[in-house]
Amino acid sequence: MAPAATSQVLLSPAELSFLHSSLLLQPPVRPDGRAPNQFRPLVAETDILPGANGSARICFPDGTEAIVGIKAEVEKSQWRANLSEDGAHLGTGGGDVEMEEDGGKPQEEASSHGNGEMSWIELSIEIPGFRDDDPLPIFLAAMLSEGLLAGEELKDRLWINRRFHWKLYIDILLLSPPLSYPLPLLSLTTHLALLSSRIPKLKSEQDEDPLFDDDWEASLYLYPKLPTGKRIDRPPITLLVMAVGSNIIFDPSKEELAVAEAVLAVSVRESQRRENDTSGRRLNLLSIRSVDSPSRLTPSGVPNTMNTATGGSAPVSSQDAVAQRESIDQKGVWNPPRGGVKRALITRIIKLVLEPNGVAQEVMDGLNGVEV
Amino acid sequence: MTDRRRINGPPSGTQTPIFASTLKQTPTVRLSPPTRTREPTELRKIFLKTGLVPSSSGSAYLELQHSSQLTSLKITCTAHGPRPLPRSAPFSPQLVLSTTVKFAPFASRVRRGYVRDSAERDLAVHLETALRGVVLGDRWPKSGCDVVVTVLEGEEDAWWGDVAGARERGEGWGLMCVLAGCITVASAAIMDAGIDCVDLITGGVAAVVEEGGGKRGEVMVLDPCPAEHRNVLAACVVGYLASRDEITEVWMKGNASAAISAEELIEKAVGAAAATKAVLEEAIKEAAFVKFPELAKSRGGLNDIDMNG
Repeated sequence: MAPAATSQVLLSPAELSFLHSSLLLQPPVRPDGRAPNQFRPLVAETDILPGANGSARICFPDGTEAIVGIKAEVEKSQWRANLSEDGAHLGTGGGDVEMEEDGGKPQEEASSHGNGEMSWIELSIEIPGFRDDDPLPIFLAAMLSEGLLAGEELKDRLWINRRFHWKLYIDILLLSPPLSYPLPLLSLTTHLALLSSRIPKLKSEQDEDPLFDDDWEASLYLYPKLPTGKRIDRPPITLLVMAVGSNIIFDPSKEELAVAEAVLAVSVRESQRRENDTSGRRLNLLSIRSVDSPSRLTPSGVPNTMNTATGGSAPVSSQDAVAQRESIDQKGVWNPPRGGVKRALITRIIKLVLEPNGVAQEVMDGLNGVEV
Repeated sequence: MTDRRRINGPPSGTQTPIFASTLKQTPTVRLSPPTRTREPTELRKIFLKTGLVPSSSGSAYLELQHSSQLTSLKITCTAHGPRPLPRSAPFSPQLVLSTTVKFAPFASRVRRGYVRDSAERDLAVHLETALRGVVLGDRWPKSGCDVVVTVLEGEEDAWWGDVAGARERGEGWGLMCVLAGCITVASAAIMDAGIDCVDLITGGVAAVVEEGGGKRGEVMVLDPCPAEHRNVLAACVVGYLASRDEITEVWMKGNASAAISAEELIEKAVGAAAATKAVLEEAIKEAAFVKFPELAKSRGGLNDIDMNG
């Protein structure tokens, strides 16, 4: 049950029906008066934790607040045979065996490309009121780390030399109870924390034991900056998108989610750019996941024809009740959505997210404004 | 948390060491990675049977065609319910569906513990999302249904001999194939339990893979076996309702490049799911014929299905 937190919306079938029909309008009327592709305003700050390599805090106006702290530790890499070096060592064991020294081969220039591993990044989410093995934190953690791990760039930057690497711990703390589905909040906070995180500058060479510059001013950004002050690339962001009828709504609030027909989480990232590249930015799609819509758990309404208080006749048995309720499709009587979404709708959502000057880009631009 | 109640074996299996020096003398010993012999649009053959666990209200078993030196997917699923919720549970206007996915300790090359890990819990959430859209929950207020999936043999993330290529990165492509199998088998078990659904749901996977040794380009394949490919770039699982032409679950990840768009990948995964539907239908028909023998006489026999996406 992914959005367990939002499933307990205490709205009556009549309220749900009202919400649903106002979201079905063209253009949809949202309870907080936003445009369908408008995000909630937010307060953000970075570098708030002196003890972490990078940190950020974001506050939404509904009172939800999250803090992300990023810590990096040097860790010994597991030795593994390398096919490209000399034919095939069929690696059969892990262990910290070092075989390069004795061969007398000149040391090839070691590069970090393609050496990063998934296990070098660890992401944990703490939500008040949830155990860490509850489905919601696990689902959120899986969704966020999927986006982070999709590209090679971040993993490769954690490579120090053949014997050592950085291990990155991303700890996400939701300070308030999850009033709305916290995915966009956590994703944006992680994005900012990663942008602000720095790792010490390496002084040692090649495969020596790593030695770092102890001057924090000389440290390097995990997402390096160009001389112009722009970043070469940026961490991904995950957007929550929902659909009601043919309307696509971004960043839904708790009440809107309660009537959603489909909820998707979409992770996107700006593609890497060169130093003198001035062409338009392109967005890459990293992952899509469908999120279980809490609307499926809402109680359905009782039409007047089945309600004795309004002059109808009550069903005689539960089977009769089911037969009656399912045969009518009356406007204004809430029925939880059934089945799935059409493919065309998913295609439209992807297009809306990725389009130039679309929502994802707008959010990215907004986050650019935060001082890092 | 580690399991401290039982005496567990080593966390991963051990293999006889093969030394590089011996390989040079006898090049025939050198292991070659398995390659895909199927057409890109051809699925592995599926064995699906329902009603195997008498103590549950519905159960099913799914197995994928076995190819040499690789494991094949073997999944069982039991559905318990609909049954009344315990008295202490709060009122629920809908059927409370709870899903559990568990790999057997011996299901993968590295041994799994008895305690469910986060990957398994994540799969369970995906499965629940897929099933919730199909089950007509409001016909069973105040009741619950447990769908328990046990993976007896999982799909590998990469070829086991390819540790050298640093492929052992836990990218989880195998999990996506497992999820597609889970959706299909859970659907069969729910049918067997007689829970009303809007449609038959089947799972399908498609992936973009790098073909051959060099960078010969990206190919889209249905029902990928990750071990058979050098590199998987992106993959997509869908839970698809064929007769309504709707998707209840979509899980896509990886760098869907410019050449092959995400839409196309979803389309292919839907194709794979639609092809699986024929097998599911046949399995349910078979179960119906066992339950109602007179139906079998009037409808004729059963046949094997050709699947092409």
